[in-house]
Amino acid sequence: MSLAVDLLIAAALIGLAVQVVVGGVLFRAIVLFIVFGLTMALAWARLAAPDLAMAEAAIGAGLTGALMLVAYRRLIEINPDKPARTERRRSVLALPVAILASALVAMIGLAAIGLEPAPGFAGRAVMDELDQTGLGNPITGVLLVFRNLDTLLEIAVLLAAFAAARAVTVPGASPLPLSNRSQSPLVGALLAIIVPMTVLVAAHLLRAGGHAPGGAFQAGAVLAASGVLLALTGKLVPSAETGLLLRLGLLAGLVGFSLVGLIVTGFGLPLLAMPGIWAIYAIETAMMLSIAVALLLLFTGSAGLRRGAD
Amino acid sequence: MNSLTLYVMTASALFGIGVYGLIIAGHLLRKLLALNLMGNAVFILMVTVAGPFEHGPDPVPQALVLTGIVIAVSATALALALMVRLYRETGRATLGDNDGDEEVDDG
Repeated sequence: MSLAVDLLIAAALIGLAVQVVVGGVLFRAIVLFIVFGLTMALAWARLAAPDLAMAEAAIGAGLTGALMLVAYRRLIEINPDKPARTERRRSVLALPVAILASALVAMIGLAAIGLEPAPGFAGRAVMDELDQTGLGNPITGVLLVFRNLDTLLEIAVLLAAFAAARAVTVPGASPLPLSNRSQSPLVGALLAIIVPMTVLVAAHLLRAGGHAPGGAFQAGAVLAASGVLLALTGKLVPSAETGLLLRLGLLAGLVGFSLVGLIVTGFGLPLLAMPGIWAIYAIETAMMLSIAVALLLLFTGSAGLRRGAD
Repeated sequence: MNSLTLYVMTASALFGIGVYGLIIAGHLLRKLLALNLMGNAVFILMVTVAGPFEHGPDPVPQALVLTGIVIAVSATALALALMVRLYRETGRATLGDNDGDEEVDDG
């Protein structure tokens, strides 16, 4: 029975992937990619990885899809006449190369699942040491305690991606497409329900991350999604200046994490050691804000945001 | 065949489809979609080969994949910004015609 579910998910993933790659219309390929991301979330749930399922649904499917769609829209705005259909390249090598690459991955994977884990492998060590951290979720433990340098660098990469995207985006040339279509009175009522609920969900995910699936990544993505909604309905409009609050939000994760990591060395702890559970929650909160602001600004393609007219 | 083997085979198929798409796609947006498919295949592989564990798969690769998902969306956003700028400057969202393949044809 459970294998049948897995077979269905696998067939859906492969079928959608084929359509994304060879389907005729680009817009359709993007939409199918979003469906692919949601199916991936199902696969993560089946693989007993609920943290990844949530991250995939919010980031992999939701925000990546929104970024792709808004980029597609921008291409149309730059040149409305040109059809969004492009020729495929002719390549006799494409199929053999793809089959070889696929076979290589299959060989690596099949060899690796047959292996017995080494006695002192990292996952076992995490489970053994987890109680000392006060956390109940081993993934949060790995992200914030055992391998937190990775997480610190990840926040730095997000900031670098934002700065680089700013550098290549033409200033003022990215008005959001839907900003003048929020005339319906229903939009305001809907936002009044959805936005507070998303903030609540983000806060819950952040708090739950310590002992259950959730954490700063998922919470940040959910917050960013409510920002995307506000930007699409014109409640937030792009501006050329990054305001002080947004600057603080962008830097909060990297600076907060680095400061805590440095200050603990003054108390005789190793670099980036976590002095307690409060520090983990404080850093996660700062990271959530940074992730949300950076992803939202990457979506709007602007330096900053200000309140919309109405 | 058990579920783990099935997911390994799915990951390898997705990777192959991604490689194929990356090569044949003309539009850069579609190349990015193909690249993201390849990334997802690697994520599935990483978590699957870590095997069943007491409470789900090994937490270390799961945490790495979680980081990977955020890095992937950052890189995608940057690539999209580059593509939009390229389109604005040159009027096309494809790679140049004078790359390796075409030069061989000319010669």
